[in-house]
Amino acid sequence: MCFLVTYSISFVLLLLAAASVAGFFGALLGVGGGIFIVPAMVLLFHLPMKIAVAASIVSVIATSNAGGSSYVEQRISNLRLAMFLELFTTTGALIGAVLAIYLHDWAISLVFAVMLAYMAFASFSTRNVDDERIAKGLFSKAKPDAISRYLSLQGSYHDLAANKDVHYIVRGAKAGITVASLAGIASGLLGVGGGVLKVSAMNKYMNVPMKVSVGTSKLMIGVTAAVSSILFFMAGLIHFMVVAPVAIGTTVGATIGTMLMNHLHTAVLKWIFSALMAYLAYAMLAQALAVGFGIHLPSST
Amino acid sequence: MSDEQNVYAGVYHILVAGMVVSSILFVIGIILALLHPQYFPLSADWVRQQYHPSLVIHGLLHGEPTSFFLVGTVLLILTPVARVLASIHAFWKDRNRKYVAVTSGVLIVMIITVILGELGVR
Repeated sequence: MCFLVTYSISFVLLLLAAASVAGFFGALLGVGGGIFIVPAMVLLFHLPMKIAVAASIVSVIATSNAGGSSYVEQRISNLRLAMFLELFTTTGALIGAVLAIYLHDWAISLVFAVMLAYMAFASFSTRNVDDERIAKGLFSKAKPDAISRYLSLQGSYHDLAANKDVHYIVRGAKAGITVASLAGIASGLLGVGGGVLKVSAMNKYMNVPMKVSVGTSKLMIGVTAAVSSILFFMAGLIHFMVVAPVAIGTTVGATIGTMLMNHLHTAVLKWIFSALMAYLAYAMLAQALAVGFGIHLPSST
Repeated sequence: MSDEQNVYAGVYHILVAGMVVSSILFVIGIILALLHPQYFPLSADWVRQQYHPSLVIHGLLHGEPTSFFLVGTVLLILTPVARVLASIHAFWKDRNRKYVAVTSGVLIVMIITVILGELGVR
């Protein structure tokens, strides 16, 4: 991992541009830029995977701050639930960061490729089935489990689309804890926000409406990212020359992407991004196999 | 809920302030680095060698991009930490002991992380 980088104008500007594009795509897709910028850093800029992961997770902190929840989102998010799950996402992040430090670069690339492949297929199955449940008032009919009751995790929000107040009882804390921990590990190991897993933990297992899950997940991302960032920082893996362009670029791109998000057709976007993620998964896999095992897949670049 | 409003109010400004300052430092650093393009080693050891306060202060005063990037990075990482501290404080003021415990738990994870880093996890 000891080679020199020419910090030339072209390197910086290209990195800024790549990060902006990554942040932009990420915002359009409703995920963090990490999913796109890490492969970009590794495949385009030939930066070591650990450095890419560390730089990405720091920029996740930046975008999570910049995302700046709108007032509406703030009222909708469940702060107590966020604080509670943060215990597990941060623990997971610590574990993930330790793994990232000790695993070979190619092993991390392999896991990243698997995650990309999963996301390429999963983006088709995320349908918002809440509408029916809201109409039938099903969210308020669940029975809380012991932990949820003890910590008063339940909440309510005003759903603009359905034009009614939705009260929801939180349950399934144990399942939520498990998935949240996994989300934390993914975040620490791969340098991504992990929002997709966090949202599914709440929406699928804990009886939390989708809009609340999304808002609450955003609350957790910065703190989770900070934990692995701390460890990476102390290990000297946060190469700040790389972090600066990546952080600025991702933030700018994500901000623009969020502004445009409502004006674009989602279905088409999902197809494009699934294809892109599938391609990146293959490219990362090819790189991991080449470096780790000397196996050369048919060229993808 | 009143405790949630309290937490949001204090926290939001910390996050934004930290982000704005670190972004400014990053931009200054990028401009400085572009004015004098040079080589940088990609090793963890080199990165950690930059961690000396006297070196950093000297760098800030003499327009060394490394120092600006370093301070910006540290600041960025500290914003969520500050947020956790602010949350503990807000729940404490609202006498919500359960959530003081919960948020303190997160702080403990952060402290353990620092300890592991100090112990030489690298």
